[in-house]
Amino acid sequence: MTDDSGSIRERGSAALDRLVDATAAERITISLASLVFAIIVGAVLVFVSGFVADCADPFIYLPGLGYGCYNPLEVYWTMLTGSFGSMTVIGQTLLQTTLLLFTGLSVAVAFRAGLFNIGTQGQMVLGALATALVVLELAAYVPDNAIGMVIVLSTGVIVGAIVGGFWGMIPGLMKAYANAHEVITTIMLNFVAIGIAFWLVQVHVGDLTTDSVQTETVPAVARFPATISGSRFSVIALIGALLVAAGIYLLYTRTVIGYDLRTSGIQETAAEYGGVNAKRNIVTSMTLSGVLGGIAGAIYVMMVQYRWQAGIPPLGFDGIAVSILAGNNPVGVIPAALLFGSLKTGSVAVDLSLGVPGELVEVLRGLIILFIAMPEFFRMIGKRFGYGNGSVATDGGEAQ
Amino acid sequence: MQRRTFLTTVGVGATAGLAGCLVGDDDDDGNGVDDTGNGEDDDVDSDITVGIIYSTGGLGDESFNDMAFAGIEQAEEDFGISYQNAEPDEPADMNDMQRQFASDEDIDLVCCIGFDHETDLEENAAEYDDQRFALVDAVVEADNVANYTFREHEGSFQAGHLAGLLSTMDYAHGAGETDTDEARVGFVGGEEIALIERFEAGYIAGAQHADDGIETPSAYAGSWNDPSTGQEIATGMYDDGADVVFHAAGGTGGGVFEAAQSAGRFAIGVDDDQSISADEFSDVIVASMVKRVDTAVYESIEAVVNDEFEGGMNDLGLEDEGVGATIGQDFEGDLPEEVVDALEDSRQAIIDGEIDVPDNLDDL
Repeated sequence: MTDDSGSIRERGSAALDRLVDATAAERITISLASLVFAIIVGAVLVFVSGFVADCADPFIYLPGLGYGCYNPLEVYWTMLTGSFGSMTVIGQTLLQTTLLLFTGLSVAVAFRAGLFNIGTQGQMVLGALATALVVLELAAYVPDNAIGMVIVLSTGVIVGAIVGGFWGMIPGLMKAYANAHEVITTIMLNFVAIGIAFWLVQVHVGDLTTDSVQTETVPAVARFPATISGSRFSVIALIGALLVAAGIYLLYTRTVIGYDLRTSGIQETAAEYGGVNAKRNIVTSMTLSGVLGGIAGAIYVMMVQYRWQAGIPPLGFDGIAVSILAGNNPVGVIPAALLFGSLKTGSVAVDLSLGVPGELVEVLRGLIILFIAMPEFFRMIGKRFGYGNGSVATDGGEAQ
Repeated sequence: MQRRTFLTTVGVGATAGLAGCLVGDDDDDGNGVDDTGNGEDDDVDSDITVGIIYSTGGLGDESFNDMAFAGIEQAEEDFGISYQNAEPDEPADMNDMQRQFASDEDIDLVCCIGFDHETDLEENAAEYDDQRFALVDAVVEADNVANYTFREHEGSFQAGHLAGLLSTMDYAHGAGETDTDEARVGFVGGEEIALIERFEAGYIAGAQHADDGIETPSAYAGSWNDPSTGQEIATGMYDDGADVVFHAAGGTGGGVFEAAQSAGRFAIGVDDDQSISADEFSDVIVASMVKRVDTAVYESIEAVVNDEFEGGMNDLGLEDEGVGATIGQDFEGDLPEEVVDALEDSRQAIIDGEIDVPDNLDDL
């Protein structure tokens, strides 16, 4: 018995060592292999569920088993064409990608500083509302042309950033000066944010002529110009998101501020010893994270919904998964957001055009994410506990 | 225990809804799938395809959305149409779904269920001006949108009238009986919005039509899906001597029925005949204020099938049987004759315009 568990333990350790020491090319290969496995497992699952369901026109009959309703190949093909099959759906995919880039970066920034920001959703909701209200006011005072648009759009983004940043700063302050754990406070502040926004819109600042809880629709001057017809996607927002990703990457790898931010979160006492004001840096990290969440909200209002309406999709929570999938690397967030974005658009197509229930499509999505994220996840754990040949403590968490 | 059985039924309802969604697989999606489906309906087999987008409550809610689905199913049976379901998780998903259906050349009619569709549909109806839309519970003024709204206050007036009459007499049947000491009937709403205040206003007016001095407490749970708050509110009302409580609160209403059973009093359901859809409470559901969402959906499809579709308003009231008080299955034939007659009189009076039913609380 003990021999057995001992050898399992050793093999586990060896595997973790191997994972932690994997090169970039190996990691990409692992991710692709995981994707293939996820697709195979998902296909089996879809195929089997097809025999339990009832449908008018089953695609296959197996003696002894009965009729199968869902063709897994068709499901995956629809998912693919539904996310990349036409310019319009590519637009939709990139639209989701843009939003997920901001929320993913928001979570990643906090993660890099050793902070777990679950509050991106709340920061986004409040940022979105502030943006909607300000641009609705502002649009009346600017000319209805390109200059007016530049003014309104940039103001909208700044307002969203400020409000989101403020909402992110609160748990930062509580963490730094009251030792309140940011996971608890950010989760709770999500509820507070959503409650405040709902109440404000329903009772005070919303469009009271409709039964929906929403603000009025923002005018054309406050909308990102659509790049692809049939979709509201604007390439300007995507470029902005990519620049922000690059900027954050440079901030953390090339600047002293970035180094200080990172070390303050990971090794507070060591940072203090090195002459860094760790408490202030914790607040800065959380604020920066909130700023990005708030910008996601601003973009959401000005590119997607064109108004604030209760029930904003859980992009902030998706951001957590995007960030983990990317190993909290700001550059890695780009492909991770693209994967999430295409899965999201693709599953809408499956839901609408095949009879496959939405819940099953969500399972497929979940499988893909789980399979790809797991190796990275174990790698992070392995690194944390000192596996592999590199050591964590000395590099300031650089390659986490 | 009772709560558990209620939840089980909801679960069954949800599964039934899901199964229906599977059956609704598109027949002409051109994927080489053999069409073995609608072969039976060869007498009238229309090639119309309808895209239907529900409200966020989703299928399996045993009321609003399931009613809409019933309308689609009926149309499938009668006309052999095919359909595609779309269930948004959030109001934010509605815009995309509208656009997807609107731009799909195979789809001949897009049914939008619920007021949350209004703002997005205003833009999409203008952009996709060769697509036809039907909108339930809100109004978009466009040539290609057929709007279906309901005169809920008229049906609620009937519900209130019934409640008021029962409250002022001695009546016991099923699991409930009235407390004759005082005339008092309650109202429980979901979210406090103009639509639901229309129910409330009609209900109170109806109760006052039965008895001028009647007490009509009302409260809002703040949610469509919070049975425990509904139960709390209704229990309070019954404790204060209310004989009947009417709910217009979606899933929250389950708690009102619970409270009615515990207190041994009566309740009135909403949207569909809840003595059937929530039949474990049929011994206290004296009536339901039905809102024929299924009729609206069915009519819009019928118009497209007969090539008679036109945009505009369809305001369905008592006269069109778009709304009305349906007596619960356990109470049918058991209500005192004078109550049934009085209800019929007030129904006719509303249709004839002799009774003016207020549609908001200010006009009470």
